[in-house]
Amino acid sequence: MQPTAGLGFKMEHLDEALASRDPGLWFEVHAENYMVDGGPRLAALAALRATHPISIHGVGLSIASSDRPCPNHLARLKTLCDRIDPMLVSDHLAWQRWNGVHVSDFLPFPRTRAALAHTVTNVTIVQQALGRRLLVENPSLYVDLPGHMMSEAEFLNELADATGCGLILDVNNVYVSASNLGFDAIQALRAINADAVCEIHLAGHTADADADFPLLIDTHGAPIAEAVWTLYAGLVDRIGPRPTLIERDDDIPPFQTLVAERHRAHAVLTGQRAHV
Amino acid sequence: MRFSRGNVRMSDHAIFEHAFGAALAGQASVWSTDPRIRRALTIHRNTSHKAAQDALAANYPVIVQLVGEEAFAACAAAFVEERPPAEPRLCLYGDGFGDFLRDYAPFVELGWLGNVAALERLVVETMFAADHCVFDGAALDLESALPLHAATRIGRLSGPAVSIWRAHQPDGDPDALASLEWIDEIALVTRPAGSVMVTSIDAIAADFLDSCNAGRALGEAASMAVENGADLTALFAVLIGAGAFAAIDSGD
Repeated sequence: MQPTAGLGFKMEHLDEALASRDPGLWFEVHAENYMVDGGPRLAALAALRATHPISIHGVGLSIASSDRPCPNHLARLKTLCDRIDPMLVSDHLAWQRWNGVHVSDFLPFPRTRAALAHTVTNVTIVQQALGRRLLVENPSLYVDLPGHMMSEAEFLNELADATGCGLILDVNNVYVSASNLGFDAIQALRAINADAVCEIHLAGHTADADADFPLLIDTHGAPIAEAVWTLYAGLVDRIGPRPTLIERDDDIPPFQTLVAERHRAHAVLTGQRAHV
Repeated sequence: MRFSRGNVRMSDHAIFEHAFGAALAGQASVWSTDPRIRRALTIHRNTSHKAAQDALAANYPVIVQLVGEEAFAACAAAFVEERPPAEPRLCLYGDGFGDFLRDYAPFVELGWLGNVAALERLVVETMFAADHCVFDGAALDLESALPLHAATRIGRLSGPAVSIWRAHQPDGDPDALASLEWIDEIALVTRPAGSVMVTSIDAIAADFLDSCNAGRALGEAASMAVENGADLTALFAVLIGAGAFAAIDSGD
């Protein structure tokens, strides 16, 4: 089936999302918002699942931790997946737990053999528990930590080889990381094993003015940047179409604004380059 | 050390996490000396704190209205610092915010805020509780216990927290605050027909619900309520109308 473009689902868009009959439209939700016992929010997701495919995107598995995934969290994720039967399930290459605290961001780490071994173990545990393939997303990076033994692409490729997991290639995150750390985004995208890429993410970022260290921040609070659209078109041209998500998590615009961004991604996926 | 696990030696990855996490928490660490790393730490700290503060504001919308967004943001920042999220489900974040507010110095004159926050916490619990069919009043069995719905919460609150909460709902009447009676209220928080409902009930009704929840037979619980002066017809009308009980043979 031809891969299509989807939208990050926002509850304020529920009525329009339910009513939309755009061909190939699917929605992605943050798993943790729905890992609850019951109630109207879960019912809304079930209603949306009745009309559209759903992708479940976790923001809390902490799969790059030296600790194993939290069993309760994993059990709740499995319950949600069993309820919704998603088209894809994913989370991020990051660690998020320290001293009993959950950090709601994606923390970096030196890409060592030990880190890879922990991550391989954790992804394997998750896939066995869910009985599904997990997709792992490249995060945005803000500093080049000392101690790396391999590039991010090498780490992700080895992770996919060792576990059979798929990858989400977040083009905005590659762009943000490349800008912040000073590497070549196109080369970084080329280094990823295209066969493992099962989904592409597109989002907006924000420039953070700082006299000493100006950075791009992965805020998901702005339209997708033109430079990211260009990278995306080049990527699809090279590896072929993949399900592509338009993400927006802050400063949420009207549904139709996101639909317009989705149409632009759709034009890329179907080879209508004139629209890019 | 928390990182030793069986016969597996502590990995360099675990050592890194321990030190980087300390730096993120603002403690002295080998990772807090390099200015570029400090800058990245600040971004990660800001992003995670913003997520927790936004979640707190989403779960305590009446408190936001009562104190204003600016004062709430300062208070939320202090709460997140003191009690950061312990797990990733931020839709449930904020347990204990009511107690925190009672001790929060800038709001010391507003001692009743904590009770409104306690009610908002019950609303969150009700919102995400398990699904069951609501008992509709048919086939009352006096010999059996009548279980409360998983979403039902009872809050014995100091002051008129229910009235204050209700006046700040989208369909609430802000003028109602002008005639506010400063009495202790008991909140019944339920979820009939898929949305949260907050009802003010009296102590007899609350005690009756406690009896039901403790597993007493309905007849016994009702007799006690009558001894306390309850009008059973009115009591059942309120409680069943609010969807306080679960249908006995219900599932998901």
